This record gives sequence, structure tokens and C-alpha cells, in this order.
Amino acid sequence: MSITEKIHKTTELTNFKGQIPTNYLYTYGIAGENFFRKIKDEGKFTASRCEECDVTYLPARIFCERCMGHLSKTIEVKPQGELYSFTVCWENMDGSRKTEPDVLAAVKIDGTDGVLVHYLGGVSLDEIEIGMQVEAVLKPKKDREGSIFDIKHFKPSAK
Amino acid sequence: MELENYPLGGKALSDKDLENSLFVKHKPSLKYAWDNGVAISRYLAELKEGRIIAKKCRKCGRTLVPPRMFCELCWVPTDEWVYVEDTGVVNTFSLCYINWDASLVPKGKDPHIPAVIELDGASKGMGIMHLLGEVELDKIKIGMKVKAVWKAEKEREGSITDILYWKPLE
Repeated sequence: MSITEKIHKTTELTNFKGQIPTNYLYTYGIAGENFFRKIKDEGKFTASRCEECDVTYLPARIFCERCMGHLSKTIEVKPQGELYSFTVCWENMDGSRKTEPDVLAAVKIDGTDGVLVHYLGGVSLDEIEIGMQVEAVLKPKKDREGSIFDIKHFKPSAK
Repeated sequence: MELENYPLGGKALSDKDLENSLFVKHKPSLKYAWDNGVAISRYLAELKEGRIIAKKCRKCGRTLVPPRMFCELCWVPTDEWVYVEDTGVVNTFSLCYINWDASLVPKGKDPHIPAVIELDGASKGMGIMHLLGEVELDKIKIGMKVKAVWKAEKEREGSITDILYWKPLE
């Protein structure tokens, strides 16, 4: 048994192009709303502390995921931290090559156990080191809209 | 700082709540290119010409539409290409009052009417999924005769949407 017809000319190969329409709208929830409003209005981060478990969550949240305790209080922390991990990305979303790479960083925020993932900027590739101190560069207040992109990127802290 | 009081277990957000809430809107780009293969390539090229093509399996004698290179019952390659009619009967249908994004079809507007059409010339039970149109909702019956309404020739692009919908055959 064999396939009786084959396409021999690649010009006869066809494919059907489409795009699946998807939209979403994500609300941040009670603690998330508080976290992003604080960035928008005051340029500060909020975290939630569980004394029971000795854990400080960032971004702020309303439940401790370890003991399920209710976290009704938030604390303010500075928008700075330590570079926990990073990666240098040379590809766009569609797989094409970037001329300038994006550096994606996981930043452990000072005074908390939370990590934010964001861009790292204002630094040359060979200067990046895990453990270095970094701080958030915020957009001007009038341009902030309550999104993670109210932070432009993190940059190395002044020594 | 104290978080404000809130109902445990959450609550549904109204449009008014949304005006006062922060949120992020996102539209992921879900592009795809689906390889048509030998049979569907020909099927779509024929649709562009205003014809519907099928494939016959000599072993079981069935005429398969949409065409395929393999008979899934006999497990052998299929044989001749044959044209089938652009008329047929409604095998099943549904009245659909929601759009793809789950929004409601506005009051007074006709619902979408997806249907499976068994094509004349193809084997019994062999049908394609499409839409009904130009039809009164309470007149739609399983088994009713329908005919394809095609796009204008120069607007056809080799897609199943080259047929706009199927309307009752008088």
C-alpha cells in the first residue's frame, strides 16, 4: 500500500492562515489593586507580611499561601532589590532576531521574599552580575496607568 | 496600611466596578498556518472555482467530502476525484444566540445557524459544517433541501467561506 498521489512541486503546497481571536481583561484583585495603585500614585511597592510563617509577600496579597491566614495589612517597601537571576533575549515574539537584546531580570525586592520579573536597563551586558543591587526606574507620574509597565525597567543602583 | 473591607469569596464585577478598578487588557496574537495537505489543497482550489470536489474509495464505495487521501474505514488510499453538487440536505442544525466572544446576538437580529449539510452526490451521512441563511427560523427542518450561496467569483479566495451560507431550495 502506498500513497497514490504526491505533491512534487513545492509551489503547489498550500496552507491556510488564520488568527484565533482572543481578548482578555484581567483585574488585579484587592491586594493587587492596592499594589498597583501605590506604584501609580506614590511610586512605592506594597508587600504583605505573615508573622505566623515569617514570610513577606510581594506583590501584596490577601491570603498567606502557606497557612491560609488572612493578610489584611500591607507594608511599604522601597522599589529596589537584588538581581536574583537574568536572561538575555535576542528574539522577538515571532521568533525573528532582535538587533538589541532585552535583558529580563528576576529582582528579589529588599525586605521581602518576593521576586518581580522585569526588564533590566541602563547596563551593558558584561556588567550584569547575579547579586547586584538594582532599583526600579518609574515612568513620570502623569504617564502611569496602574500597570507593571509603570516601571520602565530596573537599573543598577548608584554605588 | 489596612486593606479595605471586602466580601470573602469574591464578587462579580459590574461595569461600574470596572470604571474604578485597575486592570490589564491584552490580546494575544494567536496566528497559525494550517498545512492543507494534498486533499484539502485541491478542495480549497476547487471552491475558488465554485465547485465542490470529493474523493471516492473503491473498496467501500463511499464518496468522501471534504476529500481525504485515506479512507478511514478501509484504511487504504482513496481513488478517484469526483465533483459533488452544491445542493444537499440539512443533517442537523442549531440556533446560536451568542457570538464567538460570548456576547449576545442583539435582540431582533437573527441567530447564527450552524448546520451540517449532506451534499448531493456524496455518500449518506457525509456532510460539511456550514451556515444556513435566507431562511425563516421556524421553517428549518432536518432533511430540508438547501443550495449554496457563493461569494462573487472575484472575491473568492480558496476558503470554505467562499460559500457564504446555504439557503432553502424551492
